[in-house]
Amino acid sequence: MRIHLRIWRQPGPDAKGHFENYTVERVSPNMSFLEMLDTLNEDLIRRGQDPVAFDSDCREGICGTCGFVVNGRPHGPDSQTTVCQLHMRRFRDGDTITLEPWRAKAFPVLRDLVVDRSAFDRIIQAGGYTSVNVGGAPDANAIPIPKEVAEQAFDSAQCIGCGACVAACKNASAMLFTSAKVRHLALLPQGQVERTRRVLNMVARMDAEGFGPCSNEGECEAVCPKGITLDNIATLNREWWKAALKP
Amino acid sequence: MRLDAKIPSGPLADKWDRHRFESKLVNPANRRRHTIIVVGTGLAGASAAASLGELGYNVLSFCIQDSPRRAHSIAAQGGINAAKNYQNDGDSIERLFYDTIKGGDYRAREANVYRLAQVSVNIIDQCVAQGVPFAREYGGQLDNRSFGGAQVSRTFYARGQTGQQLLLGAYQSLMRQVERKTVRIFPFREMLDLVVINGRARGIVCRNLVTGDIERYAADAVCLATGGYGTAYYLSTNAVGSNVTAAWRAHKRGAFFANPCFTQIHPTCIPVTGEDQSKLTLMSESLRNDGRVWVPKKPGDKRPPHEIPEDERDYYLERKYPSFGNLVPRDVASRNAKFVCDEGRGVGESGLAVYLDFRDAIERLGRDVIKARYGNLFDMYRKITDEDPYEVPMRIYPAIHYTMGGLWVDYNLMSTIPGLHVLGEANFSDHGANRLGASALMQGLADGYFIIPYTIAHYIASTPLEKVTTDHEAFAEAENNVRQRIDRLLSIKGSETPRSLHRRLGKLLWDYVGMSRNEAGLKKALEEIPKLREEFWQNVSVPGDANYVNKNLEYAGRVADYLEFAELLTIDALHRTESCGGHFREESQTPDGEALRDDERFSYVAAWEYNGVGQAPTLHEEPLVFEYVTPTQRSYK
Amino acid sequence: MKVLQSLGTTTGSKILVALTGLAMVGFLVGHLAGNLLALFGPEAFNEYSHALISNPLLIPVEIGLLAILVMHILSAVSVFVRGQRARPERYAVKKWAGGPSRKTLSSTTMIGTGILILVFLVTHLNTFKYGPYYEHPEGYRDLYRLLVEVFKEPGYVIFYVVCMVLVGMHLRHGISSAFQSLGLMAGSWTGRILRLGAALALVVGIGFALIPVVIYFFL
Repeated sequence: MRIHLRIWRQPGPDAKGHFENYTVERVSPNMSFLEMLDTLNEDLIRRGQDPVAFDSDCREGICGTCGFVVNGRPHGPDSQTTVCQLHMRRFRDGDTITLEPWRAKAFPVLRDLVVDRSAFDRIIQAGGYTSVNVGGAPDANAIPIPKEVAEQAFDSAQCIGCGACVAACKNASAMLFTSAKVRHLALLPQGQVERTRRVLNMVARMDAEGFGPCSNEGECEAVCPKGITLDNIATLNREWWKAALKP
Repeated sequence: MRLDAKIPSGPLADKWDRHRFESKLVNPANRRRHTIIVVGTGLAGASAAASLGELGYNVLSFCIQDSPRRAHSIAAQGGINAAKNYQNDGDSIERLFYDTIKGGDYRAREANVYRLAQVSVNIIDQCVAQGVPFAREYGGQLDNRSFGGAQVSRTFYARGQTGQQLLLGAYQSLMRQVERKTVRIFPFREMLDLVVINGRARGIVCRNLVTGDIERYAADAVCLATGGYGTAYYLSTNAVGSNVTAAWRAHKRGAFFANPCFTQIHPTCIPVTGEDQSKLTLMSESLRNDGRVWVPKKPGDKRPPHEIPEDERDYYLERKYPSFGNLVPRDVASRNAKFVCDEGRGVGESGLAVYLDFRDAIERLGRDVIKARYGNLFDMYRKITDEDPYEVPMRIYPAIHYTMGGLWVDYNLMSTIPGLHVLGEANFSDHGANRLGASALMQGLADGYFIIPYTIAHYIASTPLEKVTTDHEAFAEAENNVRQRIDRLLSIKGSETPRSLHRRLGKLLWDYVGMSRNEAGLKKALEEIPKLREEFWQNVSVPGDANYVNKNLEYAGRVADYLEFAELLTIDALHRTESCGGHFREESQTPDGEALRDDERFSYVAAWEYNGVGQAPTLHEEPLVFEYVTPTQRSYK
Repeated sequence: MKVLQSLGTTTGSKILVALTGLAMVGFLVGHLAGNLLALFGPEAFNEYSHALISNPLLIPVEIGLLAILVMHILSAVSVFVRGQRARPERYAVKKWAGGPSRKTLSSTTMIGTGILILVFLVTHLNTFKYGPYYEHPEGYRDLYRLLVEVFKEPGYVIFYVVCMVLVGMHLRHGISSAFQSLGLMAGSWTGRILRLGAALALVVGIGFALIPVVIYFFL
């Protein structure tokens, strides 16, 4: 296949960016999307040109490192699929594909398609944990947890922190990300002690980082590679006002 | 130099307790005055940084990714072992210890492995307290499964994403310490040199991968938790960013590298489809519980699988190993897949694959049961290959997955450079020549949560540590070293990409230092690797500059290190003429083609000392003494 | 105090938008029920409107409604502005994400429909509440006459119907969105609330539009 690419190139965080056009020849349908970009970069490097910078690591959809907007949809056209798991058989010979970085004030572009998502770390830092030191934990079976509850907590806990939710939201809101952690810990007995503080602090930090308010549109859920649902956001909202009303 | 593993005296079961009691402590008020550097934020690194932060040390935590949560521990699927005996099926610390020693083909230290089994129980408690959503039974108790041929159910799991959940637990603990200001995190930093002052590890030099700045950090002790070296083979189940650079640069500063030839090859990965492939994806081993492995009896049989009648199929694992069948250990399953493919009986376009067939299981149990057990794996397979495993047998092939070798450490996890501690996959210590399934997560967290906090305190409390700042000339020398190497990479302006050179190195290693090794092949590799390295330094292309995000520059540096490291890997494989765990030497096999260990000559840890690029390294042997178990030849017939 | 501070967060603002919005939906439903009396003749309608005007609670309720409206506008504008600020640079290509997304034309135009509804509201009050005062022979205000007079003008009918489409759109996203903001959507209720919100939006929109249409064509 031959694929035409229109890629956002931006030399650095403060520089102006622009689109550049490329053509990749001999693309095999079995290639992953990132392997297709590797191929483009190989050509650029051989010609002594700066390759397109994009982030990726595990390339099996779990580390959350990769991600950019493919033809107007974060991670590309397939649902519940990170861009590293997207394959070229999804495209046709001669297609033109536009690639843009996650665009959000809280995710400054570092170069080309690479953005800085450390704001997510700082949201977790504000309370996305249980405050237990190593050493004093009781026996693991001392706290029975109903299977259904453990499963629900898992559904939320599997967020990979890729940032697609922010990228998809018209308000660049981090509510899906934040709510997944809030719900994961609010469901479990281990998370009860800090339940009130956690939700208030995490929401405050999310705002401070410059993420927008939830649009309730659910574009985030639609592009989430792990299928984290809007129910998580509803839970966060509920948790939040209960906490805010607490004297 | 004589290697002293510093194994405590006394009965095996009491060694760790006694050692903890005899270790010196650091006064809580003094801890914040001691800086500890932790490189890497996987299970070992994140847990170490978090627990050291909790104790009050001033911790600096570094990772190459954009966030500490990305480390490749996150991709571990299966589970984590612990000797909890929750299932009342006869498990115990002794049994986990024994299984691990035996599984490691008697090439690990008894004392280390016993300690690992001891602390395994605490790990589960800690993780549950953190809110890790392990699988539960209806009664609310933790669920277990059996894994990797163990006869007890001791594996705790969180669907197929156990590594993710454990890593996020450790990451959250780490971020809690960041908020408490005991830990500072430095993402997008690549450690490029270790700073040794007065014979002790006192800091690191990093490149800031965003700005390109070369940064110096001083400390009282350094912990490396930078993972394994599987990507030396180019294609592996490791992340594309995984690398040996930090460990290798420490090795060049005097840390011995132990048993590099012990590499683990996982039998059930999705086969390679083309030249452009960048990584291999693992399919959980649990698939072998219901899938049957086969190839056609006739070489070169290109008929589609459903057209091959039953009597023309060779279920070779069931045929050769009637008692274990498809559930033989990883190394045996991998090797046999290679053998049948070498005979020309491999399937698929490349001929480098075997079938893993669920037809009989679907007939016996029904599609729904199979879907419930393996649905997510089947979906993943379909996503990658565009084939439906409910209809056509899966094609699988072995791939590099884990590396048992690593920097040599003593019982305190300290390398041959005082003050440099090595944790997790980056060290060599607990898995011998072969790692059991669900043990990697256990070891990473054991090292970070429960071992390093004690042993590093002892080091700090018992060592006279003079004040050192980053103005010390050793930092200047290390920084200069790093800058020169980067400048050199940028100035070559050749025509080969780092990736294509890496791919060629990987092929070389896979062909000659892969699943089955022989003297001629290893010698061939030792001829070829230096040539490839030469070509790299003559002809690599690294466009652009060093003062911004330049992923190709980062990558080129890592490939350059692999080109040096690969030689050591091969030398180790050549010197060890026995077959042992993941290391199969064709010269050393039983008459029926099984691995044959040579305890007379090789019951030792091979720790290599660096003597310069292209110079023969010096071998130091640490004899392995077995007081409690008697080494036997593994048999799965 | 903590509550007040909290209302300044994005989550707090959204809750404020939701609560004030739902309150106004309640008002609209009552308003619609009353207005539909116009279809049953002058007596029914005038009797109802007279009872309303002469009620001493009218002024406090009006002040309350005004306060709710102002809060709704302020918090909604703050939500909008913060959303805009959070994405300073737009995408060159942006597509509907598909699947479970609840994004609709309504949801993307909330600020626009909101502003237009505000314009309508001013016109609406000016036309009726502060419009010509027709004295009924029996001594009360003959609002029915005004109503019929206004809705015999085709221009106003079209304007009114278009505005009711806007109200319907605003509510189509607004009602279920309010439930989501309040955290009242969960599990199996989600689908029901989404359908209920859409249905109520339809009823309110069509209900209000019905009055001018019926008057224009059938009276």
